[in-house]
Amino acid sequence: MSNSRTLTFNIFRYDPQLPGDAPAMVQYQLEETAGMTVFIALNRIRAEQDPSLQFDFVCRAGICGSCAMVINGLPTLACRTLTAKYSDGNITLMPLPGFELIGDLSVNTGKFMRELAERLKLWLHPAADQHDIHLIEQPMAPDEAAKLYELERCVECGVCVSACATAQMRDTFVGAVGMMKIARFELDSRDARSAEDFYHVIGTQDGVFGCMTLLGCQDNCPKDLPHMQQIAYLRRKMSRTLIGISHA
Amino acid sequence: MLTKYHLGERWLGFPRSYRWAAVADRLQSASGVLLGLFLLLHLHFESSILLGKAAFYRVAQVLEGGLFTPSGHGVPLITQLFSLVMLLVLMVHAATALRRFPVQLGQWRALRNHLHLIKHNDSKLWFWQMLTGFLMFFLVPMHLVTMLTNPEIGPHLSAARVYHDNYWLLYGLLLPAVVVHAMLGLYRVAVKWGISFQRHGLLLLAKILMGYLIILGACSLVAYLVIGHSLTLPVTPFTP
Amino acid sequence: MKLIYTDALVVGAGLAGLRVAIAAKERGLDTLVLSLIPAKRSHSAAAQGGMQASLGNTVKGDGDNEDVHFQDTVKGSDWGCDQTVARMFAHCAPKAVRQMANWGVPWTRVTAGPRQVVVNAERITIEEAQAAHGLINARDFGGTKKWRTCYTADGTGHSLLYAVDNKAISLDIPVHERMEALKIIHDGKRCHGVIARCLITGELRAYIAKSTTIATGGYGRIYEVSTNAIICEGVGQALALETGVATLGNMEAVQFHPTAIVPVGILTTEGCRGDGGLLRDRNGHRFMPDYEPEKKELASRDVVSRRMTEHMRKGLGVDSPYGPHLWLDITLLGRKHIDTNLREVKEICENFLGIDPADEWIPVRPTQHYSMGGIRTNPSGESPQLSGLFSVGEAACWDMHGFNRLGGNSLAETVVGGMIIGSYVADFCQQNELVVDTALVNKFSTELQSEIDELCQDGEGENAFALKTHMQRVMMDHVGIFRNGPELEVAVAELKELLQRSRNIKLKCTKRHANPELVEALRVRRMIKVALTVACGALARTESRGAHAREDYPQRNDKDWLCRTLASWPNANDLTPILSYEPLDVMQMELPPGYRGYGADNAIAHPDTAKRLDEIATIAAGLGSHITRQQLQQALMPFELPSFLRASNQRLHDTLHASHSKNTTTHTSNVDGTSHE
Repeated sequence: MSNSRTLTFNIFRYDPQLPGDAPAMVQYQLEETAGMTVFIALNRIRAEQDPSLQFDFVCRAGICGSCAMVINGLPTLACRTLTAKYSDGNITLMPLPGFELIGDLSVNTGKFMRELAERLKLWLHPAADQHDIHLIEQPMAPDEAAKLYELERCVECGVCVSACATAQMRDTFVGAVGMMKIARFELDSRDARSAEDFYHVIGTQDGVFGCMTLLGCQDNCPKDLPHMQQIAYLRRKMSRTLIGISHA
Repeated sequence: MLTKYHLGERWLGFPRSYRWAAVADRLQSASGVLLGLFLLLHLHFESSILLGKAAFYRVAQVLEGGLFTPSGHGVPLITQLFSLVMLLVLMVHAATALRRFPVQLGQWRALRNHLHLIKHNDSKLWFWQMLTGFLMFFLVPMHLVTMLTNPEIGPHLSAARVYHDNYWLLYGLLLPAVVVHAMLGLYRVAVKWGISFQRHGLLLLAKILMGYLIILGACSLVAYLVIGHSLTLPVTPFTP
Repeated sequence: MKLIYTDALVVGAGLAGLRVAIAAKERGLDTLVLSLIPAKRSHSAAAQGGMQASLGNTVKGDGDNEDVHFQDTVKGSDWGCDQTVARMFAHCAPKAVRQMANWGVPWTRVTAGPRQVVVNAERITIEEAQAAHGLINARDFGGTKKWRTCYTADGTGHSLLYAVDNKAISLDIPVHERMEALKIIHDGKRCHGVIARCLITGELRAYIAKSTTIATGGYGRIYEVSTNAIICEGVGQALALETGVATLGNMEAVQFHPTAIVPVGILTTEGCRGDGGLLRDRNGHRFMPDYEPEKKELASRDVVSRRMTEHMRKGLGVDSPYGPHLWLDITLLGRKHIDTNLREVKEICENFLGIDPADEWIPVRPTQHYSMGGIRTNPSGESPQLSGLFSVGEAACWDMHGFNRLGGNSLAETVVGGMIIGSYVADFCQQNELVVDTALVNKFSTELQSEIDELCQDGEGENAFALKTHMQRVMMDHVGIFRNGPELEVAVAELKELLQRSRNIKLKCTKRHANPELVEALRVRRMIKVALTVACGALARTESRGAHAREDYPQRNDKDWLCRTLASWPNANDLTPILSYEPLDVMQMELPPGYRGYGADNAIAHPDTAKRLDEIATIAAGLGSHITRQQLQQALMPFELPSFLRASNQRLHDTLHASHSKNTTTHTSNVDGTSHE
């Protein structure tokens, strides 16, 4: 990049803990550098212009899921968003909607995810007698392991929840992240839960039957997880389970 | 250690209480598909007027069971019965789809907020689907009640209704609403249940159908208006 | 101020911290974890390549066992590690991998039959055994004799962290997120917990516990460019250092990873080279075989990083606006392999470089990556100076890595170390009472409170952000891959000045609650102290060992420097740490110092080495030829482990040959290693 340009950042500012503070959009100017990401830009704004600016980054490599925010109308990971992408040099940053706001661009996705995990019991429920760790492990079909990893790539960034109008309208809706994780455990041969057990947690209005297929999850997931396919799969599976139960 | 307590599932009536969610979801989709497919046929039958009064007369005659009546005219009761059935399907669809509506002010605000904040095409489309659905809560019953109370269908009778009874206003609103709602609905049902994941193809098809059906419907409406304009009251039913 | 009581307090919710918390909770102890961030965002998630454990399922790992893993680890450490700890580790690694499978990690599995792999730039076909089908696979990593690195594609850390955090959630272990521990409460002999600050509300809280485990990861962010997450700032090490009592071990041992992308310094896994990727220079020439004819790209990380730097110094690097770099070529692995086994690498290349690694070469350069040094502990994970203070994972100098860590051994250390040390933490909690000394708590909380008050006072002062950048530059420029006396002296002098200046930081934003500037100010003065332990340790150590490479002292000097550096900071007003040394006893070593098999062979021998080699030969001869390798090992260097971890590890190899062997060991089975005899 030979001539650098000046970027204009419009950043949502609000400190809910500061008495009398009100949400506002604040403008910052910054010289663009080669290969600049929103991560680099925000840190420079904080260090050089406004030390009170709040935002969250951890790995800055698109791995940890900390830094999701709405960038020019699209919820995504800020650390791997190159500023060069925006040809007019205007970048508007909003915090992820649908989560507790800590301040400015920082939202409490961690709390949301932990509560979701507790509510949906998002951990492996192994069969009663676990395999002895001193002995050769139990085999697993190589394909199954590969598929499990595919579904496990979710980084809990919260983008799917913020991109989902259903989740925005109904606080109790589990969102794509909840369903993706259920789908992951449902697929896992080591998990002892039956389809009926999963039906308890997501066979409801707040679960898969509450999903309106708006596909905000599918279109915005930074890990390109197959939300559309998995939710459709769960919907069919849960629906069939229902028939099984009624005949029982 | 003490933990939170939960009511046992049996107490809460599992699985009965859960079952409703699945039933509702299936019923909504099934009734929607039924209504959507019906709409496709309906609009095509309707537009047979574009091929002339005689063509429309034949279509109405056949659909009213004219083949099986000695006079060959068919019985309007069939229209009535069919309307009644469609009303039922519609009620099922409305009742189940009502779950999706932002019924509280907070939900409405959240939806507006979302649409304002996040650029997402499918959400916007759904917003239109929801709005047209809402509109149809009022428009479709009017149409169906007319068919129940006034079931006579024919090139002249229908045209008179459109022109002289000012039903063009109803159909002018209903046509785009129902077409948009139904085509987006069919697209959504397909991806929802995983019938097809070719989203872009499906959406393109839905949009083409939308355009086609609206043009088709609008042309027939104009045809009725033209016919209705030429009629003098009281109307004499068309006979070929 | 709020006082919170618990049995086992863990600071840091990465893999190591959570694993300790789980071990404590499973023993019925009240357990609580503090974390700067949500647990699943911890830097453990960024570990891509895998964890080493000698399962020996793949045909390329056949014949692997604890002995081979131990030897690789010791050689990798350049004989700087604690061999007892390396033994404990190598013995438990297979158990940990298998336990992780029980907890839900979808380890990549072996597919029976022929499979194409790339070895030494050639596509060869290997034949996996039918009996191995579906067992945990392993890939090749640097500095190892066997293919030993177990993995889930290239998201191993992610999978492990998610499984372990899920386990913690299932056990109802509370994680207090966005809490930063800033003071250790201690009386000079025993640690009683920490004072922490809530990053949201700014509230100070005292967490009072029987045991306190620091698991805050490394201190990579004292460097300007690092592969580490931005929270790896060494505050955990500073916590221990500021007690004035506890010591930090081998802080100068800082690893540079050969392949971080240029310029942002994000890691591409060693798995890229393990799976067959090559390093190339500006002419496209594969240069590593010129330097390391045997291990080539897969020598240990310190060696590869140095060779790359040497090569770039010859002018053979690729010029870029960010200085020279080299190429990592994984195009020869094929698109399918990259799409399935190296997909995080692919994503990183797409997002940060805008290239497709299946078609194009990746610009890479050695970059700060791992901190071998940390809070010095004994083999049970406890500080030798401050009882009740434990440390685990990268935060600790448990010392299985010595002066260079092997790829795949850090992820392994988190869960293996966590499993072993967690058990010792639980023992400690069961054997000791909670001591509540409110006067002591007040002393430390007042100290912290006045530190914050002072920072928030009006007036002119230093800028915390500027000081941090300055410190990071000093470390980059003067305490890098190659070090020398004059440069290190500059570094120490500059850091001392920065430390002085950091005592006069003043904030522009004086909010007491969520205030990033306050967070930065509190951290930066602690980071500068940590940086000083690194620079001073490096300056004092006049030899080259592992990742510590002195241009003015290029030889490994076992005669004078076979010892561990200990740094402490007894007087808070000092500008430098006090260094002392803990000798490594050759006469206790199972594997006395020798040549690593790669890198320079120029060591100055220790006088005891020959003696110990003789002794080992005598012991081995005395035991006769009918002993098992385990018996021989026990005779050479006995090591302790919690009883439920002592059983030997079964391998595919054993079951295939079981009928021929009388020595198959029997052991009492413990389900999942969690019940205790």
